[in-house]
Parts: sequence; C-alpha cells; structure tokens
Amino acid sequence: MKHACKEISRLASNSLDRKLKLWEKVKFHVHLAMCSNCRNCDNSMKLIREASELIQKTKYGNIRLSNVQREKMHRTLKESTGG
Amino acid sequence: MNSKSDPHQWLSEHGDYLYRYAMSRLHNEELASDMLQETLLAGWKGFDKFAGQSSIRTWLVGILKHKIIDHIRKEIRNRNLTEAVENDPTSAYFNENGSWSEAPSAWKDNPEDLCQSEQFHAVLDSCISKLPEKQQIIFRMRDITGEDSETVCKSCDITSTHLHVLLHRARLALRKCLEWNWFGQGTRP
Repeated sequence: MKHACKEISRLASNSLDRKLKLWEKVKFHVHLAMCSNCRNCDNSMKLIREASELIQKTKYGNIRLSNVQREKMHRTLKESTGG
Repeated sequence: MNSKSDPHQWLSEHGDYLYRYAMSRLHNEELASDMLQETLLAGWKGFDKFAGQSSIRTWLVGILKHKIIDHIRKEIRNRNLTEAVENDPTSAYFNENGSWSEAPSAWKDNPEDLCQSEQFHAVLDSCISKLPEKQQIIFRMRDITGEDSETVCKSCDITSTHLHVLLHRARLALRKCLEWNWFGQGTRP
C-alpha cells in the first residue's frame, strides 16, 4: 500500500485536533477508501471521543454547589471583602 | 466600591455554572470549590479591569480558566511528568512496512449506548489509567473535557506538535485496550 497505515493512523488522530492540509486530506481519504483497517481505526478514534464527551456531559451536566459549600463561600467572601 | 462588584451576587447567579466548569476539569469537589472561591475574590479585587464588553459570567469563566491552567501546569511540573518524543511506542501496533500488525475490527456500538453502560465507563477508565500519566492528562483534557488544543498546550507546557504526537500515542493505545477489553469479539464481559 502506498501510504503506510501507521502514517494514516497519525492523520486520523491529527484530524481530531487540527485541520489537515490539503495534501494530507487527499492522502488520508484515498487511503481510507482502499483500506478497511484504517477506516476502522478512524471510526474507533471518533467513537472514543464521542462516547467520552457524552459520558462527561452526563456526569457533570447537572451538578450544583451544595448548600454547605455555598454558605461556607459566602462566609469567606464576607470575611475577605468586608461586605 | 462599584455597586456592580458584588461577589455574593456572582456566587448566587453564576456559582453553579462556574462550579460545574471547575468540576468537569478538576474532578475534585474541594479543589473545584477552592478555585471558585479564589475566582470570585480575584474578580472582586480586579473588578476595575472588567471592561464590560463581555458578560460578567464570561469574564469570571476567563479568570477561573486561567486559575485551572495554572493549577494543572504546577501539578505537571511538581510531579516532573515528562515524556520523550523519541522511542516511538506506536511502532508496536505496526509491521516494519507500516501495515497493521493486528487488524483493527469494526466497532458497531453507538456513543449513546456506550454512555449508558456503567460497565463501559469502568473499562474506559481502566484503559485510560494504563496510559503514561502525561498522556492521561492530555487525553482527558482534549477528548473528554473537550478543551481546545491551545489550552491543553498551555496547561502542559508543550508545543502543538508534541501534543499531536502524544494524542496519537494515547488514542492508539486506548483503541487497542478497548478492542481487547470491550469491542473484541467474544471477549465482552
């Protein structure tokens, strides 16, 4: 295969963090069209990120300060700002 | 004092939002509420620098964000977490000619189902915890918290090139670990 899968896996990862340059994009997509292994790798990296983001949202989306934390903070603010 | 500079009111109006922001990045209740408190005080002290061009919330988030970056940066320095770019560990997944030494399989699961599976959370966590520490921090910031690359680089004192190298390593290692422990055929617990 013209472009080694190792290099394509690097582009698959990079594409999640930056815009690929035009020639990288061409190389990447031409290779993916021919190579199911790299397609699987690309999809799995995307799936890991999507699932992780969803998990994070579910975990932290609804948390709130507890009343104890809030009161403690009001007290400290009062002491520090004198108001 | 300017009547608008009221940290008590900020706490009431934006406290939960800021706390959520801190918790999702620090994963530690005590630390997150400390950071929030410091932010409110810094905002009170530096209120004359608030230009009024953005909302108070945006301004406070900016202060909190910097505090968190500083914290992570110190943490990384204190623990002396470095990782050389040399000694490429990704070679282990490929043959000499650059082809896969073990073919990646197609993962059929969708993110919504994975998100709802406690078992998957546990497997994902354990796979992440097997990464070198700096990769863990970077991967969590980038793919879990969704922090932008620039912020991750600043927090970790690395260049964007180094960031890309470390994320490539982390994602290949995670992919492999999840393939073995979750997606692999017949090995699902």
